[in-house]
Amino acid sequence: MYDAAAPPLTAHETIWVYAITHSGDHAGLTGLRGIGGGQIRALRSGPLAAVVESVDPGVFSAEQIQGRLSDPAELEAIARRHHDVVVAAAALGPTLPFRLATVYRTDDRVRGLLDQRRDEFCHRLGWLTGRTECGIKAWADPDVLVRERGTAEPADRGPGGRPASREAPGSADQSGAAYLFRRRAELTARVEGQRLAARCGDEIHAALGRLAVAAHRHPPRDSRTDGDEGVMVLNAAYLVESAQLAEFAEFAQASAAGAGALKVVVTGPWPAYSFADGPDALTCPRSLALT
Amino acid sequence: MTREWAPAPASRERLPTHPEPSSLVDILERVLDKGIVVAGDIRVDLLDIELLTIRLRLLIASVDRAKEMGIDWWEHDPTLSSGARDLAAENRQLRERIGALEAGRTAGSGSRARRAESAVTPPPRSRNSSQ
Repeated sequence: MYDAAAPPLTAHETIWVYAITHSGDHAGLTGLRGIGGGQIRALRSGPLAAVVESVDPGVFSAEQIQGRLSDPAELEAIARRHHDVVVAAAALGPTLPFRLATVYRTDDRVRGLLDQRRDEFCHRLGWLTGRTECGIKAWADPDVLVRERGTAEPADRGPGGRPASREAPGSADQSGAAYLFRRRAELTARVEGQRLAARCGDEIHAALGRLAVAAHRHPPRDSRTDGDEGVMVLNAAYLVESAQLAEFAEFAQASAAGAGALKVVVTGPWPAYSFADGPDALTCPRSLALT
Repeated sequence: MTREWAPAPASRERLPTHPEPSSLVDILERVLDKGIVVAGDIRVDLLDIELLTIRLRLLIASVDRAKEMGIDWWEHDPTLSSGARDLAAENRQLRERIGALEAGRTAGSGSRARRAESAVTPPPRSRNSSQ
C-alpha cells in the first residue's frame, strides 16, 4: 500500500532507509525532512513499515555517498539528520534503527525486505516495546584505586621495605638496586592500577546488567588519562523498562561510586540502536580485566 | 517487571551528574556501529569511513588534551584539508617546536615546556579541516 503523501514511483529512484516500525499511524512524521532534504514517509507492507526518504540518485550514488561520509562536516550533518529522523520515529512507537547507509532502488525492494523478514522484525519490535536504551560511561583514577583498593607495594620503598631515600649514599650498587626496586614497584603499581580500573568497570557493568533487560558493552573509548577523572572504565548501553529509566540512572550513579569510579555520565533515552538485532543476537558481557 | 535495588553504598556520596545533550561521538558510535545492517541495493564501503571516524572520535573527545600532548595531526593531514601543505614551512615549525620543548625540559619544568610549545604559531587551518 502506498502512503498517500509518497511521491510517484519513477524508474530511477533511490530510497534511504532510516528505521523499521509497526505499520500504523505515522502522522507524526509529516513535514519532517531527511538527509537529502526530502519528505520522510512510511512505506508499509503487512504489519510493518519502513521509515524512508526518496533521494536524488544523481546526488546519492554509491561513490557520492561514500564521498560525503568521508568528509567530516558532511558526515556530521548526515549522521545528525539520520539520527533525528530515527528519534522522531521512536517517539511514535517501537523502532528498529538502521545503521548508515542503507539504500534501495525502489519502494518494492524495501517492501521485499519487510516481507522476507517479517516474523523476525515483528519479534524484535515486540521485545523493544515499552523499553528504552540508556548509555553509561564511567571513569576512574588508577592511582586512587591502587591507594584505596590495591595490594601493590608502595613505589617509594626500597629493598627490605625501607624507604628508598634512606639507602646508604655513595654505593653505586645500592643506589642502582634502589632504583630498580623503585621502578619495579612503579610498574607493579601501574599494572595493578590497570587491573583495578578494569575490575571497577566490570563491577559496575555486572550490577547494571543484572537490572537491565539487556546490555551491550563497548571497548573503552580512550585509555589515556583524561583530565581529573582518570581513565574510562566503562562505555556501555543498557535496555531498560522506559518507566524505570530515572531509577536506573540513579542506581548507575550509586553503583559507579561504590565501585570506585570518579565520574559517571548517563545518556539517553536513545532509540534502541544497540539492541536492534534483537534478544537472540546478544552475547554475554565480557570482563575486560584480562585484556 | 520488578527488580531488587541494592542499597546505595554509604561510604561515598552519589557522584555528580553531567547531563549533556547527545554528543556527536555518542551519535556516531550508534549510527555507524549499531543499528540494523542489511545489504541494500547500493554497497557503501565503510572501511575508510571507519578509519576517519575513529580519528574523528578521538579528535572530538580529546582535542584539548591531545594538543596539550603535542598531538595535532589533523592540522597537517592533507586528507582533512584542501590544498597542498607547505612541507618546508611545516618542517621548520616542527624543528622550532622540538627546540622549544628541549629547552623547556632542560630548564626542568613541564609547564614551561607547554608554554614554549604554545608560543609556536600553528599553521593556518584550512576551511575543510575538522573542528
